[in-house]
Amino acid sequence: MLQVERLKKAFDGFQAITDANLLVPNGEVVAVIGPNGAGKSTLFNLITGHLKADSGHIGFKSEEITNLAPHKICHKGLSRSFQLINIFSTLTVLENVQIAVIAKHNFDRKLFRPAKKLLVEETLAVLESFGLIEFKDQSCSSLSYGDQKVLEIAIALGSKPKLLLLDEPTAGMSPDETRRIVNLIKKLSQEEGLSILLTEHDMDLVFDVAQKIMVLHQGCTIAQGLPEDIRNDKSVQSAYLGEAG
Amino acid sequence: MNFATLASQLFIGLSRGMIFFIVSAGLTLIFGVLRITNFAHGSLYMLGAFIAYSISTFLGQGPNGFWLALLIAPLAVMLISLVIERGLLRFIYNQDHLMQMLLTYSLVLIVGDLVKIVWGTEFKSMNVPTILRGSFNLWGASLPLYNAFLLIVGPVVALGLWFFLSKTRLGKICRATATDREMVDILGIDSTQVFALVFAMGGWLAGLGGALIAPTTTISIGMDANILIYAFLIVVIGGLGNVWGTLISSIIMGVGEAFGILFIPGVAIIIPYIIAGVLLIIKPSGLLKSAW
Amino acid sequence: MSTNSSSSLILQEKFRTYLGLGMAVAGILILLAIPSLISPYYVYLLATIFTTALLATSLNLVLGYGGLLHLHHAVFYGIGAYTVAIIMTKTSWPFAIAVVLGPLVAALIALVIGWFCVRLRGLYFGMLTLALGQLVWAIVYRWNALTNGDNGIHSIPVPEFLTSVNSVYYTTLLVLIVSLVILYLIIKSPFGLTLIATRDNPMRSESLGINVKRHRLTAFVIAGFFAGVAGVLFILVERSVAPSLLFWNKSAEILIMCLMGGLTVFMGPTLGAAILVVLSMIVGLYTEYWLLVLGLLLLILVLFLPQGILGYLLKSRNNKKPSMRGEN
Repeated sequence: MLQVERLKKAFDGFQAITDANLLVPNGEVVAVIGPNGAGKSTLFNLITGHLKADSGHIGFKSEEITNLAPHKICHKGLSRSFQLINIFSTLTVLENVQIAVIAKHNFDRKLFRPAKKLLVEETLAVLESFGLIEFKDQSCSSLSYGDQKVLEIAIALGSKPKLLLLDEPTAGMSPDETRRIVNLIKKLSQEEGLSILLTEHDMDLVFDVAQKIMVLHQGCTIAQGLPEDIRNDKSVQSAYLGEAG
Repeated sequence: MNFATLASQLFIGLSRGMIFFIVSAGLTLIFGVLRITNFAHGSLYMLGAFIAYSISTFLGQGPNGFWLALLIAPLAVMLISLVIERGLLRFIYNQDHLMQMLLTYSLVLIVGDLVKIVWGTEFKSMNVPTILRGSFNLWGASLPLYNAFLLIVGPVVALGLWFFLSKTRLGKICRATATDREMVDILGIDSTQVFALVFAMGGWLAGLGGALIAPTTTISIGMDANILIYAFLIVVIGGLGNVWGTLISSIIMGVGEAFGILFIPGVAIIIPYIIAGVLLIIKPSGLLKSAW
Repeated sequence: MSTNSSSSLILQEKFRTYLGLGMAVAGILILLAIPSLISPYYVYLLATIFTTALLATSLNLVLGYGGLLHLHHAVFYGIGAYTVAIIMTKTSWPFAIAVVLGPLVAALIALVIGWFCVRLRGLYFGMLTLALGQLVWAIVYRWNALTNGDNGIHSIPVPEFLTSVNSVYYTTLLVLIVSLVILYLIIKSPFGLTLIATRDNPMRSESLGINVKRHRLTAFVIAGFFAGVAGVLFILVERSVAPSLLFWNKSAEILIMCLMGGLTVFMGPTLGAAILVVLSMIVGLYTEYWLLVLGLLLLILVLFLPQGILGYLLKSRNNKKPSMRGEN
């Protein structure tokens, strides 16, 4: 589904990504892990087109998407959530997701047709599956942190992606809220067969949900494979222990 | 068109660029440190010119009048700026750009009419002191002495700014505030005092520009609007908050305008806008690195 | 959610819609009757308000809903007016062509200026609108052969039926209402909702597949078009035009109108325009220092009422009824 090969990116001389390689097979959950500053967020921003790569290739469904504009990449079927809450602060919960659905159907430039009733069913279905339906007419800034984080993912789902990227989906969440997200990821993967790529600090969560794991260290892919192989990999252990010590 | 004409026009353009620089440097400092678009900057410049005129007239338009005006007018404008910052601006530091702009724009309107009330609407003029009157010859071109004076003052101000910003503790604090306000707060420095200082200094520079231009032009209401747009464009194409970018773009503007007057006198007025438009289109973030 | 409360909510909403519609109809009826009740000077003043209200509302599409620091909207107003003026005085083309071309030329110039500006963000966007807008002003100011330069163009001929004060009044009123309805529909359309989304969070909008730059450019052009319509109305009302119409301080004046009424409320700019036009008339009776008064007013507004008059009223009403969603 997604292939990243020999990706490189530098900022003002600082080499953030030196050699990133990644494979996300169709229908699987893949986690990118690595110590702080390993370049996980940069890698995500490169994949979604928010940053331009210096060299390397990103392929999606056998199409080259390297350095395409973010909105074009989304229309190819790749949608993401953000680490920090990144929602439309003056809109209602319903409208937040509706924007994604409208954009997905290319209705975002329709001028003379009320938006109020447009694609509401489809939007409500997304809200329903995320347990947000009771808040639909509330301003999204009135939601609790946990609900905003869920909304964050719901918006990404609104564009009906083939591949969903989740950047630290449980950052700052309580154990209860984290469990809610874990169940959500499992449901999306198992029931809807969605391919998911995520970064996460919570190793229990990673080993719980991921079918494959890629380890990024100082901008370089040092290991990629099944969770148990990663657990026993010497270079991974030294990367993490190196950081701890 | 001979070499002498070109050289003299270049000279005029450079000296005009110096005035642009002095005014715009104040604006860019305020931009960089306070992150405020100061529409009132042109008004401060105009106040500088009018106050210089009044001082000079009070002392009988003699040579002493000019030098004293050059000393006092910028200081007076600095004081006015300080009052504006402490009395008004400090209450809107948390608001968005638009509100800050509109507040400073309200000062444009207020100062404009106050100047009308105090000085009237007729054109004023101020004498160039005897020592700077007349002209000198350079490569066959006859050049006004006062412009040579401006060409000395400009670099002196630039050097002074450079010294202040990179050699003094206060200047370093100003630069730190421009790049990382939180860090300055963490260090226990009261950033609002830095703001007051920088705004006052920006006001002093605007007043100095006004006092310097006063003997070479008719002093009139409306001079605020003209310089303001130029200064805005200069600051943006130089890179917001970057004093050296401002120096470069001031010179480009001054020389560009001077050659525009030479080659296409009828439409020279559009030259600065074309320069600014083209530079912003090819280098949207300014010639040099922006402060933020 | 129980069916009961939802149906009562729907009823309440319907009631509010009808109330709003009723008030609008009553207002329009009053506006229709007014010319026979007041002196021609006030009729003229109202026509000026209508023209300015359309101009301010068109700016607010970009400024309030699009969140773009558009600092030179008067350019498109001036272009609309100058297009009509030039066609009516320099060519033998019919008035109808001039009326149609005014907004179209304004929209075209908006497309050109906007095409460059939407690539920049925030303050840089604002500065480029200012630079390119002033460039247009300078061209109008200097192109004597076409625009008559500093003197402007006066005694612009218009068709016989548009010469009386009352007919100008009804025309500007009609055009204002039609334009406001269209602009309102645009804001409530998917395009409008998406525009608000790009204002709230451009980066997120991008990653949902919205072409933010193209979206902003479209809004910019629509706003330019309606500013051009306002420019055509200006010619009807004044029958003359001068370069000061597109100098940057005119743009600042429109910004103040939007701010005064409230950037987040659809009718805000209309209210702001009405207040400013009326105030300038009243203050003008007593003193020549209208700008001083305006400056003080703006100062008070920024310091104490940044959400504007309508914005403030709506907010305090919503605070009383916490169940309702705040527009802020």
